[in-house]
Amino acid sequence: MAILDIHQVSLSFGGLKALQNVNLKIEKGTTHALIGPNGAGKSTLLNVLTGMLKPDDGSVMFDGKPLLNVNSYDINQLGIAKVFQTPAIFPEMTVLQNVTIPVFAARDGSFNLNMFEGRSKQRPLIEFAEQQICELGLENHMHSMAGSLSRGDKRRLEMAICLANKPRLLLLDEPTAGMARHETEKTIELLKSMQDGITKVIVEHDMNVVFSLAEKISVLAQGQIIAEGSPDEIKGHPKVIEAYLGEAQV
Amino acid sequence: MTTQNNFWQHNRTVLIFALIALTMPFWFPLMGGYSGLDTKIMIFCIFVVGFDILLGFTGYLSFGHAAFFGISAYVTGIMLKSFSDNIIPAILVAVLAATVVAVIIGLLTLKRTGIYFSILTLAFAEMFDSMAMSMLQKWTGGENGLTGMPTPMLFNLKMQGDTVFYFVTLMAILLFYLAKRIERSPVGLMMKAIKCNQTRLEFTGINARKYKLLAFVISAVYAAIAGALMVVYEPFVGHEFLGWHQSGEIVIMSVIGGVGTLVGPMLGAGFMLYFENVLSVNLGEQWLLVLGAIFMAVVIFMPGGFMEGIARLKKRYFTTVDGE
Repeated sequence: MAILDIHQVSLSFGGLKALQNVNLKIEKGTTHALIGPNGAGKSTLLNVLTGMLKPDDGSVMFDGKPLLNVNSYDINQLGIAKVFQTPAIFPEMTVLQNVTIPVFAARDGSFNLNMFEGRSKQRPLIEFAEQQICELGLENHMHSMAGSLSRGDKRRLEMAICLANKPRLLLLDEPTAGMARHETEKTIELLKSMQDGITKVIVEHDMNVVFSLAEKISVLAQGQIIAEGSPDEIKGHPKVIEAYLGEAQV
Repeated sequence: MTTQNNFWQHNRTVLIFALIALTMPFWFPLMGGYSGLDTKIMIFCIFVVGFDILLGFTGYLSFGHAAFFGISAYVTGIMLKSFSDNIIPAILVAVLAATVVAVIIGLLTLKRTGIYFSILTLAFAEMFDSMAMSMLQKWTGGENGLTGMPTPMLFNLKMQGDTVFYFVTLMAILLFYLAKRIERSPVGLMMKAIKCNQTRLEFTGINARKYKLLAFVISAVYAAIAGALMVVYEPFVGHEFLGWHQSGEIVIMSVIGGVGTLVGPMLGAGFMLYFENVLSVNLGEQWLLVLGAIFMAVVIFMPGGFMEGIARLKKRYFTTVDGE
């Protein structure tokens, strides 16, 4: 069953057609990679899914609910989390505070007037946040300032933030961009070990990452899906090779 | 950790503040200054603590908070003059009026961030200032200010001298305590997250705009309470209450004391008012120059304000194993 159904989505920036009649179904529980040359529309598509951009045409359904014209925070509350290209965290807060935010967001919704409730009195919630941090191997940094972490740890922290309000769909925008080899390997391990049941959509340039994680791959070029299939099918697909070698005819 | 320990840990600053504030009539006169300066300091403590909920937590710098201070002061004055000399209904109506204005201004200005937000708030405050001087002159007294209020009463109690001081101080302690509670709540966490990374906050399922508006309105309520108490303290309202100078002074107090610490801005308020009213006499006409130099020195060498200075001293002389 498709958890995410993108239907005939088009979006132009002025004269540039960033997305043209994109149709994409993401199956529940799978890891689906979106690849394609620079400017193919991968990030644009992710931004449509998170409410950052509104398409000119088409529809997006998440678990039977429409996603268009919904605010970013409501989309997150529905169960879609996004890992950014550069780790997006709260740098001037401790690691624990960083993860406490989604935990309260999961309990209270997008806005709650509980102005006089002591956070520290909510032991189970704080403990859940601590457990998330431990699961991502940041237990030694519990009370460190998030901004002082190494890049790899910042990425882990961002994952902890994203996972703490139990998303059903995780969008990853080049999670290994700018990482050293060993950090990339660690991230692959991390994504593999992530609890089952979470559907992942991953935009990535590193084919090593794509082929070791994805069960299904969609190839975008010039705003259109030009190929779709299993990693093996994609590897030898003539259209993909063409697009990557820059010989595509307009 | 025991409950008692928690209580002490959470309320330590409030209790210390209460102790210092309530004993002020005994030690403050020894430091010079006119009688009643302590009351004024307490009123501004309320103003800056509220202001810190906006500037310190969310990072939004308003240059127009004098609007809420001034509107509330005018409404209090008009209520005392023409409705009843009892301060309770006057304060309630005044704060309510300022809150309504704050919701409207907040909705309009919070669409922008950074300098655009600051300029928008400044523009709104200036608008109210010029309105008080022109079309609303009949009620505000224009250039001459609003005068002729009766002695304010708290039911049967005349609000004069020490009575005003203790009334204001109890309000200040209560409002500081509430600000601390907000800081420790989930709401406080979300507000501080706005300052850190608003995009991440939105993508974490939080409606940042609503929390910003909440912070804006709470800080306006604090400003309004301070404005109303100003009239109880001294039965006069001038249009300078609404002016940019007043807004700027609050910003300077906050920065000198230490933005985001709640306590710091109160230290800043105490310092500024003491400096303005007592030390300025010794320095003569150059006092503003000296104040400017102090402000620059703080910003350059101690960007965290007095609180950073205190933290540095603490680190040097009182560091123990657990860092307390």
